[in-house]
Amino acid sequence: MADGAVPVAAAVDAHAGLDARLLEAHRAGDTPRLVALYREAADAAEKRGDADAAAFYRTHAYVFALQCGDTAADALHAELKAAGREE
Amino acid sequence: MTLQHPDLASSLAAVIRPIGEANGLPNALYTDPALAETEHRRVFFASWAAIGFAHEVASPGDVKPVEFLGQPLLLVRDREGVLRVFLNVCRHRGMKLVHEAGNLPRAIRCPYHSWCYELSGALRTTPHVGGPGTNRHECIDRATLGLIEVRSAQWLGTVFVNLDGEAPEFDDYAAEAMARWAEFERDYHHSGADSSFTLEVKANWKLAVENYCESYHLPWVHPGLNSYSRLEDHYHIEAGGFSGQGTTVYRPMLAEDGRRFPVIPGLPEMWEEGAEYIALYPNVLLGVHKDHAFAIVLEPKGVAETQEHVAIMYPDVAVADAGFAPMREKNAAMWKEVFEEDIFVVEGMQSGRHAAGFDGGRFSPAMDGPTHAFHRWIAEKLGEV
Repeated sequence: MADGAVPVAAAVDAHAGLDARLLEAHRAGDTPRLVALYREAADAAEKRGDADAAAFYRTHAYVFALQCGDTAADALHAELKAAGREE
Repeated sequence: MTLQHPDLASSLAAVIRPIGEANGLPNALYTDPALAETEHRRVFFASWAAIGFAHEVASPGDVKPVEFLGQPLLLVRDREGVLRVFLNVCRHRGMKLVHEAGNLPRAIRCPYHSWCYELSGALRTTPHVGGPGTNRHECIDRATLGLIEVRSAQWLGTVFVNLDGEAPEFDDYAAEAMARWAEFERDYHHSGADSSFTLEVKANWKLAVENYCESYHLPWVHPGLNSYSRLEDHYHIEAGGFSGQGTTVYRPMLAEDGRRFPVIPGLPEMWEEGAEYIALYPNVLLGVHKDHAFAIVLEPKGVAETQEHVAIMYPDVAVADAGFAPMREKNAAMWKEVFEEDIFVVEGMQSGRHAAGFDGGRFSPAMDGPTHAFHRWIAEKLGEV
């Protein structure tokens, strides 16, 4: 097994796990959980250097934070605005 | 615009004659769905129509969707406590925004593309509107795309809207009624389910108004009231935009333990044993007493189908306490019995309106003034070009 293979596989597993958790939270209508999970997805995308994906996920976290009154909405808005994605 | 119904213009002219010579509104206004559409525009949209109650959105963040005459409306109380009414549609693709009553802590999210609005109606965000992950676009000016607010007003715990935006200010529209009942202008407290009920009536909404605003029928339809509230104890009320009746022998409900509801302090002497009941045109029936008030919002569901939404309210917050629950329930039961007693006459008049040879009927100049005043108001609204 070449160096780096394990981390890549772990990342793929983690991503698949996140997808499953997101789907479950959507199914349950668990909005606070959606805020946390989309934020996690945004952070992961950012680490990968995928700015578009990060903004996409952060937008979802922001929307659900607005919906459920999560105080994270203000920070998420600031992050999106700093990235030129939000007014 | 000319009304297309044959003979309607002459029938309406007959309504606005002096009461001793007048006929009532013609049958078609109680049976013809096409004329009901005209009535919606000229009577309801062009005036201040009642759509619900302030207590239905009592707390900041409370929202309640209302379908009124096919119009999707949304009652919203914002975080500062301001109650507004909006069109319940997203400014993006016209999606209905809120489908059930609830509490939204911060924003209204469209379930379609998730455009989000502040509780004040301002457009807060437009996800991906500039492409994935970009929530802004130069063509989308949020300042101009807030929720569309409908003119609204509140009086006696009731929420009114002017859907065409052209009516006078509510305070002018209802000025005479508000002046008459100035002492009753206050915050009312509603204690929830035990003080609310809805009656389903298979009749045109106007018949409920007609019946409510006259006392002529009381000894025949409400014999229980006749024991102390005789016909001669009532007087007519006729004014601009409302009519009804008053009584000089209101006797407050007494609990078995001798308690009474707290009364509004400082009322003039006439209210010690007086009470009044008016229909504020077009569609709310109101009653005031020294210890409680009620409002009945008439919601037309079809040309011969009406929902009567009843809310009983108290001027003293103490009445909302659990200790008053048995008295509140007894008071609501008493009013429900009275209002239910009216259903058979209202539905009976609806049946009668299918009699092709019926000419709208005649009025007693002595007893039917408040009813004729309402017919005349409707006739004048429908006759306006």
